[in-house]
Amino acid sequence: MSDHAVRDAQIAPSAVPSRTCFRLRLKTDFMLGVLSVAVMLAGWWLLSAAGVVRRDLLPTPPDVWAAAVEVVTRGYRGTTLWENINATLGRLLGGFLAATLTGVPLGLWMGSSRTTNAAINWIIQFMRPLPPLSYMILLILWFGTGDLSKGMLLFLTAFPIIVASSAAGVRCVKLQRIQAARTLGAMPAAVFRHVTLPSAAPMILTGLQIALAAAFSTVVSAELLAATNGLGWMVISASTFLRNDIIILCIIILGLLGVTLAGLLRALDKWAIHWRGRD
Amino acid sequence: MRTLPAWTITVLSVLLITAAWVGVTSGGLVRDLFLPGPLDVWSGLMELIDDGYKGRPLFLHVGMSLYRVGAGFVTGALVGTALGLGMGYMPKLNALAAPFIEFLRPLPQLAYLILLIIWLGIGETSKITMLFLAALPVSAIAARDGVANVPPERVRVAQALGASEWQIFRHVIFPSALPEILVGARLAAGIVYGTLIASEIIAGSSGIGWMVMDAGRFLRSDYVFVGIGMIGLAGIVIDQALLFIERRVVHWAGR
Repeated sequence: MSDHAVRDAQIAPSAVPSRTCFRLRLKTDFMLGVLSVAVMLAGWWLLSAAGVVRRDLLPTPPDVWAAAVEVVTRGYRGTTLWENINATLGRLLGGFLAATLTGVPLGLWMGSSRTTNAAINWIIQFMRPLPPLSYMILLILWFGTGDLSKGMLLFLTAFPIIVASSAAGVRCVKLQRIQAARTLGAMPAAVFRHVTLPSAAPMILTGLQIALAAAFSTVVSAELLAATNGLGWMVISASTFLRNDIIILCIIILGLLGVTLAGLLRALDKWAIHWRGRD
Repeated sequence: MRTLPAWTITVLSVLLITAAWVGVTSGGLVRDLFLPGPLDVWSGLMELIDDGYKGRPLFLHVGMSLYRVGAGFVTGALVGTALGLGMGYMPKLNALAAPFIEFLRPLPQLAYLILLIIWLGIGETSKITMLFLAALPVSAIAARDGVANVPPERVRVAQALGASEWQIFRHVIFPSALPEILVGARLAAGIVYGTLIASEIIAGSSGIGWMVMDAGRFLRSDYVFVGIGMIGLAGIVIDQALLFIERRVVHWAGR
């Protein structure tokens, strides 16, 4: 991209927006975004307040706000909102961290050793396209309906993605770099530490981002299926009482959580892998 | 010491795990309720092929699932791609639609399935709408980024040669963005498929995901294993089919 931009600047300098012009555009874009969200909210309000749709099926934005206040101050069926958010995030991060701590080393090992790769890769390739919920019932059968089966499910969701991306990251390291380091007298451990690992890191981080997104979807599905707390449980429990205001509230919270989690990992990526894309 | 070739190690590893599976199940270490042996799974498959599951033949369950995936994926990918092309081409449209697309993408699909079920009933409409909403943001973002990544000098050259706006879009921007659009479509198909299986497990009355869940409730682990195998196989077939199309259509990708 930057390459194109440079050539572009040489062809037509006037076509490249100046810094202030760029800021101005960002600002109008932001205003347009706010505007479209506002129009959507107003449309939603009108639709439910005017009685076009039954209000218990589509509550108005103030109804959802009232539900938010109610859930925050008085909790939901004996649980507080924080407990439920904590339960969901705890499961998610527990499974994800376990998968990261085991998956990255295994992937690095598979990428460096043909033998390990040959012995294990078929299992990873078999698990990767399998939708996690499909084996949830087996995990419930084996580990019960408690948090252990959900933790295993999230671990197994993230694990193959992380292993595959880590192994691919090592395999994509340019041979010349390793040869150059060896020629300069680096020992295998030093080559791994200073050449292989930094070169594989961008792909590993990308794998972590994909794995976290997949695990986030899975944790909510698992909570819908079998849980006694968590945001997924709140949704399914509210649906049995036709509390659509609480369902919509949970969907908004889940959406914001998803955006935040993805943003945090992207920020980590930007901070830790500052050399990404400069090959 | 000579190292063994890679495929030998893979075969050895497969044999080792199969042997462990046979050993553990036939030795009576675990009850077949928890882990059926390979032969149990095979006879389960034969039973399902001959008699079907709960009055419906096996291929019908697989067909139901594939129909839902197809309907949700095709509509979602088409609308998403059209929206994404527009978003990439017109920054204003991007500014208007981006908040919704960016919010929808990481949102767990099953969370809004519950709402869709309340609104649209438990039948096909709610599931296909959910799959539509699952495919839409992924395709839209792929198409938008595809348009954004078109090298500007290609557009300049076409402009210099006197191409009209539509000709530039049709002959320069669209073909340049197509590889990314198709990669996005494959990603969307994977997400749609995983979401469908999850939705059949949570709120289904037919389909391959429902079969696995229902068999699990009746502790028919052999059927569960057959079902998981079918789900994995169908997922691979869908992915490979799209990869085949991708290679045929965008044979110029990467050049």
